[in-house]
Amino acid sequence: MTARLELHLTPDEIEQWALGLLGAARALHLAQCPECLAAAERERKLYRELAQLGRFAPEPGFADRVMAQVRIPTPSGGFKP
Amino acid sequence: MLRTYARFASPPVGAATSERGDGVIGAKDRPSDLSGASDQDIVAWAKEGHEAAFRELVRRYERPVFSLIYRMVRNRALAEDLAQETFIKVLNGIRSYNPQFKFSSWIFKIANNAAIDHLRRRDLDTLSLDGSPYAATPEEAHATALQLGDRAETPLEEVEARELGGAIDRAIAKLRPEYRACILLRHVEGYAYEEIAQILDLPLGTVKTYIHRGRNELRRHLEDRRE
Repeated sequence: MTARLELHLTPDEIEQWALGLLGAARALHLAQCPECLAAAERERKLYRELAQLGRFAPEPGFADRVMAQVRIPTPSGGFKP
Repeated sequence: MLRTYARFASPPVGAATSERGDGVIGAKDRPSDLSGASDQDIVAWAKEGHEAAFRELVRRYERPVFSLIYRMVRNRALAEDLAQETFIKVLNGIRSYNPQFKFSSWIFKIANNAAIDHLRRRDLDTLSLDGSPYAATPEEAHATALQLGDRAETPLEEVEARELGGAIDRAIAKLRPEYRACILLRHVEGYAYEEIAQILDLPLGTVKTYIHRGRNELRRHLEDRRE
């Protein structure tokens, strides 16, 4: 237990912390380790920047342009004319 | 009679069929609102020939698929062509879809392949505003950078600059395409590592490595910009 407590956080654990999912035992190490805390803060800052990324919409009429080239199947195994 | 999505996923024998007698469920038997149905149900209906189900799949995924491709290739018109190609491939191949996998994973796999194939063919990732990410010297980076002052921007380019001109998007553009795809699937689409591995056909450890390296590079690019 002591040995585990002394281990620095892995990238996975830092990610868990940034997402609020890190277990209490490893959070204890984080609270006592300035090196891990600095790395974790850097990671959280990046997460916040990435979280600002939004989605874009294609030009209007996109669905119609797609559907014009889609073959609708029929139960008999063919396609609608 | 109450129409449920579960019923629509597996229409009963003897359900009303279209006037053409082709066995397709008639319009009056279809639910009017598909928005609450699961992807699996929508796909099942699409396989049975319901055009509304195809349109619902496009409605659900046009923005996420277009956004992923747009951030990969950084060209709106090209992204639209590749997104269209993705949907046509997915919808025309709907019968081959294996429902053991998430539909979203399947469509993102095809979208990502379309983008990566294009980048490999055209090496578009070198068309960065800041020069090629593979440039060995500042001179080489300058030589491969887009010089915006050289000519007037078209309206479409102005839209692209507005949409993708933020610091984080510019930093993402500098990543290797493989890192870029992993970062976008993880941080924009919110996929778990295991799902990203499935979408990209990569071992789980490789995905973790790419995301870890990708985030390190992003931090470095963002810090460089601030200095």
